[in-house]
Amino acid sequence: MSKKRSDWESRPQARIKKWFFDGYSAFDDEIINQISVKTPDPVNHAVYDAYIDEISANKHERKLMIEKFEDQNVRSWINARGRKVFTRFYVILSFLLACLMIFFLLRTVAEMPRFGSETSPGINEVTARYIEKGLDETGAMNIVAGMILDYRAFDTLGESTVLFIAASAVLILLRIDRNKDGSPVMELIAEESDDRHYEPRNDRILQGAAKVLVPIIFLFGIYIILNGHLSPGGGFSGGAIISAGLILYLDSFGFEKAGRFFTYSTFSWVSFISLSFYALAKTYSFYMGANGMESGIPLGTPGAILSSGLILPLNIAVGMVVACTMYIFYALFRKGGL
Amino acid sequence: MLDWLRFILSFAFLVSGLLIMITAVVGVYKFDYVLNRMHAAAMGDTLGILFCLIGLTFNAPDIWTVFKLILIIVFLWFSSPVNSHLIARLEVTMNPQWHQLPLSPEHLMEEDS
Amino acid sequence: MSFIQIFLLGMLIVCALAVSLTKNLLTSLIVYMAYSLIMAIIWMMLESPDLAITEAAVGAGITSVLFFVTLKKIHAIKGDREHE
Repeated sequence: MSKKRSDWESRPQARIKKWFFDGYSAFDDEIINQISVKTPDPVNHAVYDAYIDEISANKHERKLMIEKFEDQNVRSWINARGRKVFTRFYVILSFLLACLMIFFLLRTVAEMPRFGSETSPGINEVTARYIEKGLDETGAMNIVAGMILDYRAFDTLGESTVLFIAASAVLILLRIDRNKDGSPVMELIAEESDDRHYEPRNDRILQGAAKVLVPIIFLFGIYIILNGHLSPGGGFSGGAIISAGLILYLDSFGFEKAGRFFTYSTFSWVSFISLSFYALAKTYSFYMGANGMESGIPLGTPGAILSSGLILPLNIAVGMVVACTMYIFYALFRKGGL
Repeated sequence: MLDWLRFILSFAFLVSGLLIMITAVVGVYKFDYVLNRMHAAAMGDTLGILFCLIGLTFNAPDIWTVFKLILIIVFLWFSSPVNSHLIARLEVTMNPQWHQLPLSPEHLMEEDS
Repeated sequence: MSFIQIFLLGMLIVCALAVSLTKNLLTSLIVYMAYSLIMAIIWMMLESPDLAITEAAVGAGITSVLFFVTLKKIHAIKGDREHE
């Protein structure tokens, strides 16, 4: 048996070993104490053997007892030391994994071309065509709107559908159940609306400000949607701004007043009409066998508000879907219903 | 001459607005009580943003930018005080001892402990 | 790169670290809003105003509001007065 050196405790290996096996850190203090599994009392061997001899001379039962005893021993080790060891192991492994990921990502970044350089693979004939012929083919001054709503309109259709599906999932998860006759369950509603207990309800100043601000926000969102093919913006951002105005209205005037113009049927009809219009407008070329780019609508003069064919109605459709979806997210998170 | 006047005016307004904002931030960190902090943040924010945007209007290239900046000022002057009012109202609703203001430092020490 | 771009990128990294390192969920949420706003300014500097508008409206506005409501729903916002 080798003799330990006197300064063994202060050597790095010893400190690492101490830290790994039975050290103390704030991490397991926070986590493990919250779990609050009580460590079982250490088993007294003599008492246990006497107990086993007393109750049974049967060998089988004795074996079972011993197995149970060992099982308990393992459990106590897991509760006392094993979780600590596992936590240390976990921390070290996650640290190594993070270092590995950082290494690979930085290597990849180092091999990427510089921002805006001519030799980057992103600059090819597709980009050149978008930039050179985008204005002629789509009629949109804003080249991004021409790209996402004309060349790549299917992407945007997918995005809107994903939002709609997310709203449906939230609706399924968070909606308050109703009784069989259709009336809402009062206890659940009381429980859900209790979180508004301390909030200022029917605040005069907030209502007065909202009366002025909500139309301005709506107007700004509608401007961004309608001007999406001429200036930066478009359906997605404009819809988000409109939904922000709706949320402000809901917060200041309460659910009763907001429910007068926005119900489940509003949500479902607006989403249904917008999405089906979008899908029909962009998939009719599948059935007619025509060029997907040509809509039959004259492109008009670039720069006018009524120009660039289908981009303007598609922007409106996307904006309506986004506004309804964001608003219904908020209402469902807040109250579990409209 | 006119360019210099514009530059000096916008510089003066921007610097004063930034100073007011810095004062507001110092106040937010210095004060102890919610309503005091709210007061510092709201006042400094509103006035600082007004001065900064006025400084920017002097530098605007055309009249439409000036118009948009004035709209932004109106919007912020509507929304920022309402925010502060809501914070203050929440505090008054939730804290039953708010009417003992102004709180002395000893009282605050007691409340902390 | 100009000074302000480097400054904004540094603030972005600081915000991203602070979001994950703060213990208080409300604080990390507010830092996340700051992250979104800085990101919007960076998009604006990279000459993509469409993305900047969307980031400012969705990232700093709607998402944060939804997070606030969720924190309230699961009773994760703890005021100091609740402990007294």
